[in-house]
Amino acid sequence: MVTRGFFLVVTSLLVVAVVGSGCAKRPATTQAAAPAPTGTASTTPGSQQAQPGTQAQGPSQGSSMQPPAGTSPTPGTATATPPPRPAVKDFAAVPELQDVYFDFDKYDIRPADARTLDANAAYLKSNPNSLILIEGHCDERGTNEYNLALGERRAKSTMNYLVSQGVQANRITIISYGEERPACTDKSEACWAKNRRSHFLVKPR
Amino acid sequence: MPFKRFAAAMLLLLALFLVGPWTPAPLLAQGVDVFLNVTGGGTRKLNIAIPDFTVVSGADVQGAGKVVASITGADLGFSGLFSVVSGTTAIPANDPGALQRAWTEFAATGAHAALHGLLSLRPDRLEGEMRLYDLTTPEHRLIATKKFAVPNSQGRRLAHKIADEVVLQFTGELGIADTKIAYVVGPRGAKEIVVADYDGASAVPVTRNGSINLTPVWSPDARSLAYTSYKQGYPDLYRAFPFERRPEQTLAAFVGINTAPAFSPDGKSIAMTLSKDGNPEVYVLSLATGSMRRLTRHAGIDTEPTWAPTGRQIAFISDRTGSPNLYVMDAEGTNVRQLTSGGFHTQPRWSPKGDSIAYTARQGGHNIWLVNVDGSNPRRLTSGGDNQGGTWAPNGRHLAFQSNRSGRWQIFAMLADGSAQTAIATGPAEATSPSWSPRLP
Repeated sequence: MVTRGFFLVVTSLLVVAVVGSGCAKRPATTQAAAPAPTGTASTTPGSQQAQPGTQAQGPSQGSSMQPPAGTSPTPGTATATPPPRPAVKDFAAVPELQDVYFDFDKYDIRPADARTLDANAAYLKSNPNSLILIEGHCDERGTNEYNLALGERRAKSTMNYLVSQGVQANRITIISYGEERPACTDKSEACWAKNRRSHFLVKPR
Repeated sequence: MPFKRFAAAMLLLLALFLVGPWTPAPLLAQGVDVFLNVTGGGTRKLNIAIPDFTVVSGADVQGAGKVVASITGADLGFSGLFSVVSGTTAIPANDPGALQRAWTEFAATGAHAALHGLLSLRPDRLEGEMRLYDLTTPEHRLIATKKFAVPNSQGRRLAHKIADEVVLQFTGELGIADTKIAYVVGPRGAKEIVVADYDGASAVPVTRNGSINLTPVWSPDARSLAYTSYKQGYPDLYRAFPFERRPEQTLAAFVGINTAPAFSPDGKSIAMTLSKDGNPEVYVLSLATGSMRRLTRHAGIDTEPTWAPTGRQIAFISDRTGSPNLYVMDAEGTNVRQLTSGGFHTQPRWSPKGDSIAYTARQGGHNIWLVNVDGSNPRRLTSGGDNQGGTWAPNGRHLAFQSNRSGRWQIFAMLADGSAQTAIATGPAEATSPSWSPRLP
C-alpha cells in the first residue's frame, strides 16, 4: 500500500507536470499518451514485484519510474489534456455514424469513405457533447498480432481524418480489435471487405 | 556418467547409421503397441523396448505400471529419435533371470536398448526409477539409472521426466516431454487461455474472465505467462502465474494497443508493442525498474519482437516497405536490417538454438517457414489448410503451431524439418496461439 500510494502521488505529479508545461509539440491529431486509469492498478494487489505498467506513464524513452521525482516527460507524448480511457461498455452505436472500409493490409482512407467520414464529422460537430470511440477491425487473413496493429492504424487514420475535419481530438478514443470481432464470418472477399472497417460508437460526455 | 553417456551416444550413432528399420517378430508383436508414427525426416531411429513398469511397492489398483510406461513410450516416439515397442507385460520385481530373458528376446527382434521402469506407490508420493540397458552388448549392460519422485497426482509428469532422462542419455540434451503448451481456446470474441502438457493432455484454464485473451507467451523460468487481454475493455498486457496462488500483474495498460509480449532470455525484460506514442512501436520494459525503453522509430507498423537466445538481438515485423516483413535489430534498437522481403511475413520466433527464425508467410493461405538468421535459405515447413503461429520447443527440434487442416483450429506439433505433423490439442473448441514452455523447473 505504501508503494502504491507513492506511485499514485508520483503519477499525479507527472500529470500536473505534463499539463502545466503544455509541451504538446505534436499536432493536435496525435492521440494523447495518457496513463492508464488508476483503476487498472487494482487488478494487481499484493505482489512484491514491480508492476510497471500500472505506474508507467507517457515518456517514451529511457524514462524510469525510479526515481521519478523531477523526471520530465519526453516532449510529444501528451497533448494538453490527456483523456483517461473511458469505459468501452458505456459507448453505443448510432445510425448516423456509418462504418468506413479499407483495402486489404491498408489503412489509408479511400475517397468514397472520406465522404462518409465528412458526414460523420458533421454529425459529431453538431453533437458536441458526445465522446467518440473508434473501433479498428481487420479481416481474418493475416495473423492476429499484426492485425491488432493494423486495426490500430485504421482507427488512428480514421481519427486523424475526423480531427482534420474539425472534430476535437480529445473527444476521441480509439481501440483495435484486430481480427477478433468480425462483422461477417463467411470466408469470402465480400465478407472480408465488410470486416476491414472502422466502426463508431458514442456516449454522452 | 560422462563415459556412460558417451557409450550411449555411440550406441545411438550405431543405430542411426548402421542398422535398418526394426521389424518386430510376430510373436512379440502380439498385444504390443508399436509406435512407428514418426518418420523423423528420414533418419534411422533407435529401437527401444519399454515393458510395462514394474511396481515394486504398493498396490497398483489403477494400473500405473502400464499407464506410466505407455506415456513414456509415447514421449520417446514423439521425440523422433526412437521406435518404441511397449505394452509387453511387466518384468517381475527382483528377478534377474526374468530380466535377462526379456532383454534377450527383445534383442533378438532388433531392439538396441531397453527401458526398465520401477514404481513405488507411496501414500504421499509416486517414486519412479529408470534403468536403461544397452541390448547391443552381450551382457545387456546397464547404461544409466535415475530416480524421480512426484506427488501422487502427477503420474504423467513422472513419465515425462523418465522420457526426458532417456533422451538425455542418448543425445546429451534433456528431452522436452516435461514441458507445457499454453494456447487460446474459444471462438473469436470469447477466447480464454489454457495450459496443457506438451502432448495436449491435462489442459487447465489460466484465464476465466469472459473477455478476449490473446497470445500467451512463457517466461524463461516457465513460471509465468504474459498475454494480451481485453478484460478491462482495452487490449492491455498482463502476466499470470498459472502454477501459483499469485495474483496476475498488469504489465502495460497505455492508450492504444499493448500487445505482442516477448520475455528476454534472462527474464529481466519484456519486449512488447505499444502505440501510446501514436503508432505501433517496439518497446522494452525492465521488470526490475519499470523503465520503458523505445526501440523502433518508424511511421509504419513495428510489432512482434522476438529475442535471439543471446539476448543481443531482436527480430520483429515491420510494414515499412509496404507489407509486413522480418527485420532484425540490436537489442538497443540500433543496426536495423531487413531479413525478408516481398512477402507478407509475420509471427517471427527465434529458434532456441539461435540459428534460424520461424515465421508465418501468407501466400493465399498461411504456412510456417524457417529462415536462417542471415536471411538465407527460407524454407516452407507446412502445407494443407492454414498454418500459423509457430512456437519452438526448448530443444529447437520441434515446433507447435495452429492449423485448421481438420476443419477447425487445432494445435499441431512437428519436427523442425516439417516432418511428423500431428495434432496435440484435439478438443472440440477452436485452439489457437500456442506457446511452448521452456523446461519446467
